[in-house]
Amino acid sequence: MSGLNSRAIAAGLVLAVLALIVLAPMAGLLNLSGIPGYEPGDLRFWQSAYIRRVLFFSFWQALLSTLCSVLPAILVARAFALLPDFPLRGLLLRLFALPLVVPAVVAVMGVVSVYGSGGWIPLGRSLYGLNGILLAHVFFNLPLAVRLLLPQWQTIPQHHWQLGEQLGMNAWQRWRFLEWPAVREALPGVLLLVFMLCLTSFAVVLTLGGGPKSTTLEVAIYQSLRFDFDPAQAVVLALLQLSICTLVAILTLKLQRLPEVEITLTSDLKPVTIRQNSLNIMLILVAGVFVGMPLLSMLIDAFAGPLWQVIGNTTLWQSIGNTLFIGLSAAVFSVGAGWFLLQYSASLSLTGKTGKARLLDLAGSIVYVVPPLVIGSGMFVLLSPHVDVFAWVYPIVITINALMGLPFVIRSLGPALRQNHARYHYLCQSLSLQGWNRFRYLEWPLLRRPLGLAAALATALAMGDLGVIALFGTPHTATLPLLIYQQLGAYMIPQATVTALLLLLLSLTVFWGLERVIGGKADA
Amino acid sequence: MHKVFRLFSSTALALLLSFAVQAATPTLVIYTYDSFTSEWGPGPLVKAAFEAQCACNLELVGLEDGVSMLNRLKLEGSNSRADLLLGIDTSLTAEARASGLFAPHRLTMKKSSLPEPWQDDLFLPYDYGYFAFVYNKERLGSPPSSLRQLVEDEQGPSILVQDPRTSTPGLGLLLWVKKVFGDESDQAWARLSKRIVTVSKGWSEAYGLFLKGEADMVLSYTTSPAYHLIAEQDARFAAARFSEGHYQQIEVAGMVRSSQQQQLARDFLEFMLSDNFQSIIPTTNWMYPATLARSELPAGFEQLIEPSPALLLDEQLVASKRKAWVEDWLEVMSQ
Repeated sequence: MSGLNSRAIAAGLVLAVLALIVLAPMAGLLNLSGIPGYEPGDLRFWQSAYIRRVLFFSFWQALLSTLCSVLPAILVARAFALLPDFPLRGLLLRLFALPLVVPAVVAVMGVVSVYGSGGWIPLGRSLYGLNGILLAHVFFNLPLAVRLLLPQWQTIPQHHWQLGEQLGMNAWQRWRFLEWPAVREALPGVLLLVFMLCLTSFAVVLTLGGGPKSTTLEVAIYQSLRFDFDPAQAVVLALLQLSICTLVAILTLKLQRLPEVEITLTSDLKPVTIRQNSLNIMLILVAGVFVGMPLLSMLIDAFAGPLWQVIGNTTLWQSIGNTLFIGLSAAVFSVGAGWFLLQYSASLSLTGKTGKARLLDLAGSIVYVVPPLVIGSGMFVLLSPHVDVFAWVYPIVITINALMGLPFVIRSLGPALRQNHARYHYLCQSLSLQGWNRFRYLEWPLLRRPLGLAAALATALAMGDLGVIALFGTPHTATLPLLIYQQLGAYMIPQATVTALLLLLLSLTVFWGLERVIGGKADA
Repeated sequence: MHKVFRLFSSTALALLLSFAVQAATPTLVIYTYDSFTSEWGPGPLVKAAFEAQCACNLELVGLEDGVSMLNRLKLEGSNSRADLLLGIDTSLTAEARASGLFAPHRLTMKKSSLPEPWQDDLFLPYDYGYFAFVYNKERLGSPPSSLRQLVEDEQGPSILVQDPRTSTPGLGLLLWVKKVFGDESDQAWARLSKRIVTVSKGWSEAYGLFLKGEADMVLSYTTSPAYHLIAEQDARFAAARFSEGHYQQIEVAGMVRSSQQQQLARDFLEFMLSDNFQSIIPTTNWMYPATLARSELPAGFEQLIEPSPALLLDEQLVASKRKAWVEDWLEVMSQ
């Protein structure tokens, strides 16, 4: 069997499983006639003025949030790339992974600590509205975009920089001819991912948005499934959300140009250090302060809280165990599924079928916007007649979290894997290097760094999950985000801030560990 | 081969034994909300106390809230493992009743501290409370003395409320305003909205923002100050007493019709009404127990305001109008 075929089969299997996980629950929800007292509402409701308003707002805030997050992120990532010896660079970059893991309600508190009426930079009432939504979304997504864009600079071969120097290129020319082509490869994917994250944002938008004017489609889905108990409506809205994202995806991917990959054996891809540094240093400092402030306020709150009371609690340690277990298991599936999808997509794009390759990446990413509430509820309908759902809580939670982590894997691993494939595929064929040996001797050494980032991102995302785990309810021990949520719901706000700090520290450790163990010694 | 066989047979034996043990001690499964099952909620104490008398296992499954429990039960239908639902409130009972998934409890409440006598063949109350605006006495010297004053005073305090689409207190306020203002509710919301700092997804966000000092008052319960007083020895917080009365929330439990453990479920409901269970409620769920008199509550509760009259809309009316009222609210609040 040829390599291409086995790749196609593996990717096909992954796609089939994805489709099953996403579509079967929806079908289950649409087919609920047997439920007592349930009459499906008018399915044309989505043309109502309410839904139109919600659609417009969701799209608008997501677009603005995406631009406000990703455009500055390009500058910040560039600054990091051009300053490889910046002090504390490694720590800062790991800090940049933290917002991803912070449960929305905790992030809202952090943002309010900084910009609220009693905060360091008080914005007063004007915080609640678009300002607050943008601040929170940029806090979540700017650092993520930096992490995803930064590796692009490492794909610029060193002799390009040298050539630029010899030709006397100024900063603008270097950007235009050396850096932009590299950034452009990853940018559409990052834009799409951030757009999806902002589009599906819920608690942040509702709470910081100041009122029901700021209602996203995700809220409407939640409302129809929970409040109105109309699963069919929820499915229609979920499909609507899926279509919007597909449209946006098609538009952003038009922007993408996959650069020709040079066959080069340079392993040291460090750019030459650029001399005019002050602006870049400023950029890093501003971004660091922006991301650091809400985190710092959480730290201060936590140290003012009942630290020892929370740490001394034995169930806390069980929760930590649970959180780690769910996070790491979900990451294994996410990275595994992403790996097979990307392998096939890389070989498709090598043989010139870039359209198909993009479609494959898209399929793996877009599943993110199907709300876990819809998938989860649908799984209940399908599973509960046949199995004891309680015994299935972990597998279900891990599956849905793995699904949610997949776009992060595709974004962080995709560009590197594609380049690697383009560089070495024919060499491998001529050497008959395939299967395990190819992974062991070629792919692992060259891809372990993006693999480490992918695994770390997927783990962090699943560790911070609240939506899925809260939905299923655990008969036994909670995860850390659930524990935070329980504490917040029981007036124990000081305790919750301590638990939130522990979640942050745990993620930082896991991130560091995974990037170290999988990614190897070098810093990102 | 022998070894394998021996391993197999001993595993089978172990499995059989565990089934036998399970058969001897029945398990009662209760769907409830998260904060009930959490460590500091009533769950662990309730479990220990009931297991001490029932020769059974009590499994408490914590879901997001009352709405989630009921929806989950509807989705699972007769396949549900739940024997009881504990934690739906009076704005949901009509919908729960209409689902036909509950069985009559056939018990009577001998003792009750509810403002009105309880009459319901499907559901029994275990605790109740009143919605109220909570404030910090050091920050707000003279709180409004009525809902009307809160609404009409343009210089009045800033407030934090919850969204009726996603939160129980949020829905409570909607009904409270409806009860007091009737047909003029929309105008009332329009006036009030200028002083609403934000409308949060759930109670936790709003209360957290309030403690951070984002507004003068937050929509919560009359019993909230008891937590600060008893658990934190902090006397700064109080609930404002409104002269029109306060909207009531009564939390109830009901037996699931498809349950195989009807008798055990009934035993639990009886236990729920006993002093044993009821005395756990005040300092774990921070609500009024349904059967204990005020004099039987822990020290600190006597400092709370005593709302009068207790307001409650008819459950059928709520069930039939809720959707339309929320749509009206959305319209006014989105201006």
